[in-house]
Amino acid sequence: MQAGDTVVVKQLNGSPEMNQRLREMGFGEEQRVRVITLQTNLLCQVCNSRLGLSERLAELILVAPAGPGRLGRRLGLAA
Amino acid sequence: MSTATSQRSFLAVLTGNPNCGKTTLFNALTGLRARVGNYAGVTVERKEGALLVSSRDQPVTILDLPGTYSLSPQSLDEQIARDILFQRLPEVAAPDLVLVVIDGSNLQRNLYYATQVIELGYPTFVALNMVDVARANGHEIDDRSLSAALGVPVFPMSASTGEGVKAFADAVKAHAARGTQRVIPREFSELPEDFGREAREIQGELSKLFPHRERLAAAEALLLLSDDQALQAHPDHYPAALQEKVRNARTRLEKSGTDWRSASIEGRYARAAAIEMAVITETGGPEETVSDRIDRVVTHQVWGPLIFVGILLALFVSIFWVAEIPKGWIEWLVGALAGWVSGAMPPGDLNDLLTNGVVAGVGSVVVFLPQICLLFLFISALEDSGYMARAAFLMDRVMSRVGLHGKSFIPMLSSFACAIPGIMATRTIETVQDRLVTILVAPLMSCSARLPVYTVLIAACIGGGAFVKGLTLTGMYLLGIVGALGMAWLFKKTLLKGEPPPLLLELPPYKRPLPSVILRHMWDRSSLFLRRAGTVILGINILLWFLATFPRDEGIGNRFEVERNQRIQAEHPGDTTPEAWAARRAALEGAEGEPGVLLEALRQLDREQAGEELRNSYAGRLGRLVEPVFRPLGFDWKMGIGIVASFAAREVFVSTMSVVYNVGAGDAGDEEGTSGLAERMKTERRADGTAVYTPVTGLTLMVFYVFAMQCVSTVAVVRRETNSWRWPLFQFAYMTALAWVLAFATRWIGIALGGG
Repeated sequence: MQAGDTVVVKQLNGSPEMNQRLREMGFGEEQRVRVITLQTNLLCQVCNSRLGLSERLAELILVAPAGPGRLGRRLGLAA
Repeated sequence: MSTATSQRSFLAVLTGNPNCGKTTLFNALTGLRARVGNYAGVTVERKEGALLVSSRDQPVTILDLPGTYSLSPQSLDEQIARDILFQRLPEVAAPDLVLVVIDGSNLQRNLYYATQVIELGYPTFVALNMVDVARANGHEIDDRSLSAALGVPVFPMSASTGEGVKAFADAVKAHAARGTQRVIPREFSELPEDFGREAREIQGELSKLFPHRERLAAAEALLLLSDDQALQAHPDHYPAALQEKVRNARTRLEKSGTDWRSASIEGRYARAAAIEMAVITETGGPEETVSDRIDRVVTHQVWGPLIFVGILLALFVSIFWVAEIPKGWIEWLVGALAGWVSGAMPPGDLNDLLTNGVVAGVGSVVVFLPQICLLFLFISALEDSGYMARAAFLMDRVMSRVGLHGKSFIPMLSSFACAIPGIMATRTIETVQDRLVTILVAPLMSCSARLPVYTVLIAACIGGGAFVKGLTLTGMYLLGIVGALGMAWLFKKTLLKGEPPPLLLELPPYKRPLPSVILRHMWDRSSLFLRRAGTVILGINILLWFLATFPRDEGIGNRFEVERNQRIQAEHPGDTTPEAWAARRAALEGAEGEPGVLLEALRQLDREQAGEELRNSYAGRLGRLVEPVFRPLGFDWKMGIGIVASFAAREVFVSTMSVVYNVGAGDAGDEEGTSGLAERMKTERRADGTAVYTPVTGLTLMVFYVFAMQCVSTVAVVRRETNSWRWPLFQFAYMTALAWVLAFATRWIGIALGGG
């Protein structure tokens, strides 16, 4: 995964409150997300707003490349 | 609370996501004449104002709620918004009309919240804001079909340009005039069948329990069922039987495989997405925006921190060099005013009080206004341009090292200006421990009130050019930052353990800050400083003048008068009468060029007399009383007076020292415009003739000021914010102890390195 990629959110593995907030901010399952920067912390475009996520949070979000039939990967740098 | 809405006034509440332009719209509707207060018990800012177009006999009050993403609050701010909409705040009446602001360029997420609010069953207007931005992004929004889909009136507008605001305001006014109307209940979440059934059951219970809030019952039921915290946060509010019912419903849903946590969110998002699809026409594809490009640089691993440091450096450089120019003008004015006052009335106590106590004392603080304005100007510009959120994002790495959240950084940065807005900004921090730690360390960031102290001490004690002076100042700021981070780390390790939630932060799009808005912000905040100079500091100075002047011992004056006259007579044996001595003194003072030996000796006697009188005064006795505490730090009793006085407010140190050293009309003006106080401090000598204000003493004093909690207003705000005396007292104790210990260390390290 690199900056500029569009990915689809597959699974949220945070605490219930964190997941709820992520979903409320648009970061829900099946949402398409554009990755803007991929340094230690992540910057994503979700809907039309920009969300900054720490690495720790990004690790908890599984995504797949936008396109059919791929397995989920972590959003974080480890992906 | 004095701002409670009167019974007659029509109450419209303004609500919406953060960064949707809600505040801009509020300002446009009320014409920047908002009353700002606080909700009882918390320092969440309560902003309300009268609708500009409303008439006297049909007043409309607009209440600006804190921005929130949903009705499931994560922070204190959001909780207030939720409580008002659910009529749980006794001090706020039930809203007559709800105005939901939607960011048209981010329709889906904003619709999520808007539909939640519409379901509450209030008469609702939607302000479809930022249609210009949406258009520029290639989205054309059909407001008529949006209105049809939501079932409420929709008003397209651009609050920042004013487009469409008038029509909106007129509609609000017309609605208020028409009075109450029935609202057709609406539901937007497409719920799984079993979830819907359970929700309806709870709704029925709620209607029975709280008949006065019946129209809210459907929305409340949904929230209780899907939000764990909605139930937990109000255990006394809901009877045990109801809580039990909710829990059983959840268990049943879990058994049937329905995720009660996400079902309603997903259902609502699906609906929001469908509405968005139906009302938006894409006129252009998504492409890389300016914000994308800026963000790629500004949040870059390497460039980001460098840019940030560069911005901070520019800030300090401008505070020191640019602000010097207007500072010189104000100093000149203060000197001229003191001279005029002292010349306009006969000499005596009143004259002395006005020149030394009032003009010189208050003036010595007011001269820092340009620096403080610049500081606030920078911070306002950073906030309004959208950079501040990036800084928080960037600093999350550093902050997480000490166990804090990137969000704690914004309060800390604001504390460079003043700890009070900084502490109030902590309310966006989600966890209690992190919020407390941030409150505890925020006053360690060097605030604008320390700037006058540093400036005077650097001018008086630190030799070398502007570079060395600038470096010393930067060092003091850095010391504050390091101290704050270190203490935060310590507190997170010991007192307030707990991992902060991972950072999730919305970064608003960059925008060019409007000069009028920034200047207004700057002025609002700086004028607070001026007001303080006119009230607290003025009061303290007058009090201090009395303490420093009385009790008066005529004997001291007479003794020195005799000594001076003997000195003159020894040099000029012809002068034998008081008139002749006075004339000689006047002639010497009036002579051009360097003062001669005699004049120097006479002036030295003047100073000794002033010192002796001060020593004998109440202030002097107070100073000597506290001297044992400060002696190990190398401070004399005069500094002791300044330090004790500045526990009211730090900048009082400067005005106190002006009063203590009698820097009045005569001295302030004649030192080619530079600070008269610093020049006077340079001439201060110990009994053995060595300078009092050496570099080591200066540094020790500054270190003390970096760490000491010397601000009554901050203590009061922390008390209000934490709702107890425990934390402000703890904060006061730890900071003051730290200040003393580190100042002590500074002194002995300084002496060991050969300083004096």
